[in-house]
Amino acid sequence: MKFVFFHLMPYQYLPDDFDEKYPSPSLTFPNKHFHRETGHRLYHRYLDELEHADRLGFDGIAVNEHHQTAYGLMPSPNIMAAALARRTENAKIMVLGNAIGIRGNPLRVAEEIAMLDHITDGRLVSGFVRGIGWEYFGHSINPTRSRARFDEAHDLIIKAWTSDEMFQWISPNYEYRYVNLWPRPLQEPHPPIYIPGAGSTETMRFCAEHQYTYMSVYAPATVVGRWFNGYREAAAELGYVPDPEKIALSIPIYVGETDEQAHRDARPHLMWLFRKGLKQGLEIMFPPGYMSPSSMRGLLMAGMKPFPELTYEEIIADGYAVVGSPDTVAARLTELHGTLGFGQVIGLFALGDITHDETVRSMELFASQVIPAVRPLGVANTAVSTANGSRAVGRLF
Amino acid sequence: MNEASTPTEEYVDVSGGRVHLLRKGAGEPLLFLHAAGGAGQWNEFLDLLAERFEVYAPDHPGFGGSDELPQVEAMDDLVYHYLDVIEQLGLDCPHVVGGSFGGWVAAEIAVLAPYEIGSLTLLGAAGLRLPDHPIADLFLMTPHQLADVLFHDPAKAAAMVPAEPDVDVILAAYRDLTGLARFTWSPFMCNPKLDRRLRRIVAPTLVVWASDDRLIPVAHGHQYTDLIPNARFALVGDCGHAMYFERPAEFAHIIAAFLAKDTELSGGRR
Repeated sequence: MKFVFFHLMPYQYLPDDFDEKYPSPSLTFPNKHFHRETGHRLYHRYLDELEHADRLGFDGIAVNEHHQTAYGLMPSPNIMAAALARRTENAKIMVLGNAIGIRGNPLRVAEEIAMLDHITDGRLVSGFVRGIGWEYFGHSINPTRSRARFDEAHDLIIKAWTSDEMFQWISPNYEYRYVNLWPRPLQEPHPPIYIPGAGSTETMRFCAEHQYTYMSVYAPATVVGRWFNGYREAAAELGYVPDPEKIALSIPIYVGETDEQAHRDARPHLMWLFRKGLKQGLEIMFPPGYMSPSSMRGLLMAGMKPFPELTYEEIIADGYAVVGSPDTVAARLTELHGTLGFGQVIGLFALGDITHDETVRSMELFASQVIPAVRPLGVANTAVSTANGSRAVGRLF
Repeated sequence: MNEASTPTEEYVDVSGGRVHLLRKGAGEPLLFLHAAGGAGQWNEFLDLLAERFEVYAPDHPGFGGSDELPQVEAMDDLVYHYLDVIEQLGLDCPHVVGGSFGGWVAAEIAVLAPYEIGSLTLLGAAGLRLPDHPIADLFLMTPHQLADVLFHDPAKAAAMVPAEPDVDVILAAYRDLTGLARFTWSPFMCNPKLDRRLRRIVAPTLVVWASDDRLIPVAHGHQYTDLIPNARFALVGDCGHAMYFERPAEFAHIIAAFLAKDTELSGGRR
């Protein structure tokens, strides 16, 4: 099992009347609420936490991209990766990911990731996302073109990283007459690719076709299980058995000395994450055309509660988050591994409005007591995959 | 709202698929171009128009019962699409009436092919960019917020939103909105070049607006009237942007009166 320390970098200081007055922390929440000095301190605190995760032995430290929101303060994840590159030593630096669906110039992403690969000494992991619904409002990108823009930008970037010759790129959304990337990335053929999925069958098939790492977004364990199975089934149809590491569970985690103390500490911060951070209407989550008809039907039929309507007890019981003593967290992750099958845990430790000290205590307990207990799980069983010519899908876990 | 009798349901073959169309009435041909809402639905307003005209009400690509027609990817394609539809139907200089988004399409047709339409009626039309009078962002509204904005009469707004829509109703609405977004997301609800092209219009033109239009401010109606040669302007009182859904009789009456007069005046052209 691999362990990733992921940060959202939320702006924690929402006004007292936030719940009544604002429909979401995203898109339309006025930026007058961003206090300059407070924001400045937060960036350094959050980068300190990511650097600390490297020292504690996490396998990866991860950042992502969001725009015009208090939910996450990283419009440019590549800048955060650059800030971490020469102050960390061992952890993979994971950009999860660049929102190539909304980028006006995806070739710039290829260039920046290639640069980062050198500066991180080849520790870079490159995630790609379409960008969340409200970002199509914020950056005036037509959401009906989201999927096509993502696919075209992806193909362009991969070709730019791997081609030894200059080429011309023409696709419905992009035209480049001269693609000739300097620098090429350090890793060959290119940095590993991670793709977050939220139930879309298109994404499962896409990941399976390219043998990319498929990572979940926040959802109940039963739903995540369906997504992971969908990915494995899509892979099986192509005759490919993903290594356990190619399936990554994203999940908020809090570790305390005891279960009681952990719940007491975590409850307000998790509720901040779900009630305030993830407060977002369907209108800004799924602008028209952002979802294919079949994915939209699947979403409506899944009948998931909106995040702000979840109780703390549901968040814990349904597996949206894992909270407890080191033993409890290790046991719960082992149980989830048994039912879902995954080889990476992408943990969110800086929960909502949590303090720096709480974050550090939780991640230190996780590193010292949970990681050693869970580490042996989710490792590819090479004996099975090499000895048995038939596809042993689902037997590896 | 809909006590109207049944129209004929037809499909028109165009390049890449089929267009769903409702047709009713006898008389001069009238092509009705629907708004963001209303695709595939016959209504009282259309029924009143069908008393005097042969009304053709097609669904836009990606809306209602029409196919996706993905090659119709922007407004310029949509104008050529409708010139194809007019030709396919064999309509000779039809009256073109468009509501809201459909009004914008109608104005673009009149600019590109000024001699292929008999008259132009714009009802609360999108299409212009007036930075001081922005069109409200309906994509950002919940169904209830949208209904409140669309109707002057709150009781009519309340009746518009079903309490518990089933999945198929939601998916059909999402498809229509997706069709709308294809043409209107950016630039938002406008063609920035349209204002300087409106001078090309030669068809007799009527611009009708609702007095309480909180989606597309009435300033857009005045701008259309100013820029289209000899255009006339009419305002319907106590009415929201839902227009012919809120006050079908008034809208039908104003249009019929305009077209009756217009037919006398420009009889030589038809």
